[in-house]
Amino acid sequence: MEKKGTTQGSINFKGQVADLSGEVHLLPCAVKYDGPSSVSDYFKPKSTRLEVEGLSVKEAHFRGRKLQGATISIPDGYSGFVVGKKNLGKQKDANSSEENLNCWEMNAKFKNITYWNHDNLPSQDDAFLCSFHWLSVAKSLHKPVAAEDLGSASIALGKMEEGTKKEKK
Amino acid sequence: MGSEAQLPKWASEPCIMGIDEAGRGPVLGPMVYGCLYCAQSYQKTLSSLNFADSKTLKEEKREELFENLKTDESIGWAVDIIDPRELSAKMLKKNKINLNEISHESAMGLVAKVLNMGIFLTEVYVDTVGDAEKYKEKLSGRFPAVKFVVAKKADSLYPVVSGASIVAKVTRDRALREWILDETAENMHKNFGSGYPGDPETKAWLEHHKHMVFGFPSLVRFSWGTCTPYIKELAEVLWESDKMDEDSSCGKKQMKLIRFGVTTSKRKSEEIESSGKGHCKFFQARKLERLTHF
Repeated sequence: MEKKGTTQGSINFKGQVADLSGEVHLLPCAVKYDGPSSVSDYFKPKSTRLEVEGLSVKEAHFRGRKLQGATISIPDGYSGFVVGKKNLGKQKDANSSEENLNCWEMNAKFKNITYWNHDNLPSQDDAFLCSFHWLSVAKSLHKPVAAEDLGSASIALGKMEEGTKKEKK
Repeated sequence: MGSEAQLPKWASEPCIMGIDEAGRGPVLGPMVYGCLYCAQSYQKTLSSLNFADSKTLKEEKREELFENLKTDESIGWAVDIIDPRELSAKMLKKNKINLNEISHESAMGLVAKVLNMGIFLTEVYVDTVGDAEKYKEKLSGRFPAVKFVVAKKADSLYPVVSGASIVAKVTRDRALREWILDETAENMHKNFGSGYPGDPETKAWLEHHKHMVFGFPSLVRFSWGTCTPYIKELAEVLWESDKMDEDSSCGKKQMKLIRFGVTTSKRKSEEIESSGKGHCKFFQARKLERLTHF
């Protein structure tokens, strides 16, 4: 893992896995615990009638703190996955090659996620929501450019330059 | 909750009111603020009703007195029940609200409620919370037309406050008796004792109901010092708001949260929040980071 550059890995997305939609939560804290827990017995989000910036606000409490959050659909064409290391038992095997170490498989998937803020109402300005902007930026960046796009872009650029000249006058 | 029927005939006479609280100290359950009011002319009769500080009375006697005062048409009452979840949440907010402030707000809420009902309050007697002089100033500032008497042990000095203490205490006891635990885990019970930190039954209940990840049922006031030794034994939870506290006090230990990243074997979990460091603002603002390794 320390070696830089050419390490390769794989994630196996084949097969049927559990759908965790409605049960995936992103908390505004780090819980230093890994493993199963009786979440549904303790964590009981409630819908409020409040709607902010198109988000319907939910309310929950965790460790005495009030959380306010909203459930977000994963954008079309994307999916949320819970991935885990393949052959966990073999991991500590001294013979296991690096290739084995970087093989992952899908354990579950989800189509939505509920993210929570401590104290603050959810907002379209929350970093988590904004991170989805990347998907449309990436799409535009990687879209093949057609001849007419170039044409219209150069016209637009020309107009911009004209504009700045006028301002200088 | 309170006597909310028709406005009593004596509402436009000069009235007095007492305010007291129950359940300020316990580590669990709601804190209840209660008030009792009547016409000034009724004060003498009130003194004969044998109200005493609710703590010196037996539970049955308190219940009896409460039932009596509820049917007394010359007396009005109201309560404000502050849920333990609300207490914890306010005291653990990013901008923390302390218990005194919560208490003051509750008492002032009761005064406002009774005034809004159309009761002509002239004098209000309050058991002090914090410094009596400052509290009085705060109350008088908010309600300039009312004369406030703020005193220590007001509940044993003024019958109208004794009455309020019965209203508050009985309401809290009933709320605890009828409490339905929000949590649905097995093996939970309600033998939590008095809720006071020194009570062995309360200690045993806390010990039995602590949970590695979730801490306690939401009946418990997480913000109480009593909880601290138990919480230390549980999975550690790091909050952004605590991080700010630490940054401002010592700035040594940087806590970071897991956001849009995956734990690597190399980096420790608290260091792995994506920061977008070294990338343009677009990524920084969204805490996005390129990940070449899982």
